[in-house]
Amino acid sequence: MKALLSAVRMALSALTRARARSLLTSLGILIGIAAVVIVTALGTGARKSVSDQIESLGSNLIFIFYKPVSKSGAQGALGTGGGLSDRDAAALEREAGALAQVTVYSDVKAQVVSEQGNAKIQVVGADRKYFEVRSFTIERGRSFTESEEQVKAKVCVIGQTAINKLFGNVDPVGRFVRVGKYPFRVIGTLKSKGQSPFEDQDDRIITPIGSWRSRVAKTRGDQVQLVMATAKTADRVPQAVRQIDAILRQRRGFADGEEPDFIVRTQAEFQKSQEAIFGILTMLLLGVAAISLFVGGVGVMNIMLVSVTERTREIGIRMAIGAKRADIQMQFMTESVLITAFGGLLGVLLAAVSIFFMQRELGWTMVFSTDAVIIAGVTSLVVGIVFGFWPAQRAARLDPIEALRHE
Amino acid sequence: MDPLIVLASVSKDYHSGPEVVHALRAVSLDVGAGELVAVVGASGSGKSTLMNILGCLDRPTSGSYSLAGINVGARSADERAMVRNRMIGFVFQGFNLLARTSALENVELPLVYRGISRRERRRRAERALAQVGLADRVLHTPAQLSGGQQQRVAIARALVTDPPVLLADEPTGNLDSKTSYEVLALLQQLSREMGITVLIVTHEPDIAACTDRQVTFRDGYLVEDKRNPSPQDALALMRDLEAHNGDAA
Repeated sequence: MKALLSAVRMALSALTRARARSLLTSLGILIGIAAVVIVTALGTGARKSVSDQIESLGSNLIFIFYKPVSKSGAQGALGTGGGLSDRDAAALEREAGALAQVTVYSDVKAQVVSEQGNAKIQVVGADRKYFEVRSFTIERGRSFTESEEQVKAKVCVIGQTAINKLFGNVDPVGRFVRVGKYPFRVIGTLKSKGQSPFEDQDDRIITPIGSWRSRVAKTRGDQVQLVMATAKTADRVPQAVRQIDAILRQRRGFADGEEPDFIVRTQAEFQKSQEAIFGILTMLLLGVAAISLFVGGVGVMNIMLVSVTERTREIGIRMAIGAKRADIQMQFMTESVLITAFGGLLGVLLAAVSIFFMQRELGWTMVFSTDAVIIAGVTSLVVGIVFGFWPAQRAARLDPIEALRHE
Repeated sequence: MDPLIVLASVSKDYHSGPEVVHALRAVSLDVGAGELVAVVGASGSGKSTLMNILGCLDRPTSGSYSLAGINVGARSADERAMVRNRMIGFVFQGFNLLARTSALENVELPLVYRGISRRERRRRAERALAQVGLADRVLHTPAQLSGGQQQRVAIARALVTDPPVLLADEPTGNLDSKTSYEVLALLQQLSREMGITVLIVTHEPDIAACTDRQVTFRDGYLVEDKRNPSPQDALALMRDLEAHNGDAA
């Protein structure tokens, strides 16, 4: 312990004698460690926001998409050629016993104008059940009424981000927004759902699906882009999926085993694939970070080799006055470990600051975990030991007579 | 009492390509405790090789070397490092101090490799520096010291471990005459007052004249071993020189 302490003291004084070089050498490690910590925080954050979404949406959510297939012969026995429709949704609600609620959904990104401003915003067409299915809550005002849906009333409910863009601090309830040439009256606001890394769920206005089809995006008949449903309980999701499949196959004229023109996806499947994507992304980024750490380590090794050559005479002197090989090895490895430990420390600090600002400025969910800090610390020590070993060994194996003669 | 240093028929061969260089040929030499010995000879005569073997930096090809009764010639590298640390002090022609490191830290260095506490190291290093007359220069770095002062720091570093043997390889080679006598006077004092065995490699006859004994090497052979019944006093020589220079001025 005492030997280690005096080795550290000796290494510190050697490193401070070549301050600029020590700092530049540790820069490589600094960047590598910071990259590792930031990437880990991003990955953990993304995964956390996915699992938060599961909680906020409920794992019993089911999505049904339309997927055009080239099929010879007649399309759809009941004249439902093309996408899914309100009637599909109604049929599901009526016939699928495992489903609690069914809603329809269409959206388009459109220019929305208010007295205060204008912005490109997600304009959603849906019915009243949408709010419940997607766990949106009305903060102020109200949702649509059945009669507003039937008469295709020009009303809308607005999300928090859209409020900020269009109204600033003004209360939007009772005011109007214009989409295309039609004004819509704001009747309610949504409680914020918070940010997710790739989508802002609050940057939207929601109108009744009928109004959307006739005023926002002209749509044939009663077609919708998406049907969403919730199973009665999470356990009954598989049963619900089977029922949906059977009902829609029958309605749309697809035999068992035939490839249908719709896809049923559960929330759980989405989460899984999203998590898998985040996992792959995180691994990729971690790989890049690891490469930069490796390059930093090679830089340390390079500088240590130069240092050993430059200090050959010093090594000779130390050996002459009684330093054992292990002492010399220890001395140079302590120096390389101190360089990487210093770089690692600054790297963690840099990462902490970057993560703080990325969260604040970009609104990303990132998790700065103690695990990442511990891993970074251990990694920087290991890098110092691994890349310092060979130069230190070269120093320790010098012949004292030759070393003393070195100019 | 047995002599401190006993070399029995020591040879050292070097292989330089296909040729074998006989740097030392069957050298036998005893040196007693407290002796002040000059090692002289032309370059290539084998005196540096002798010093390397005496200093446990190198091992003899054949023959044996025992120091204070220990056969050090046959020991491993780490054991020889320990012998260097505890029993031998080195003084070099080029001083070989660590640059940008204070005199005190330079002198402390051998004690670091002995695992001695910081406070004790400091105490002993200060004492050794006082012994060579540099008590007021402890925090100076080599660049801030004159050649003679640097050599005295080096001597303090050699002394700090209280070694029985001090090996000086042309210690005055880089110094002017006055400083040379000054350093030599210090070595004389160490040998006479502290009983340290001092071996000095030198070219200069007037330096050799200040020693008790002179061994001469030629082509790897020890050719002459002569005692000096009345060695010159280096301190007196230095004063003469000062007086002489004073007259000239």
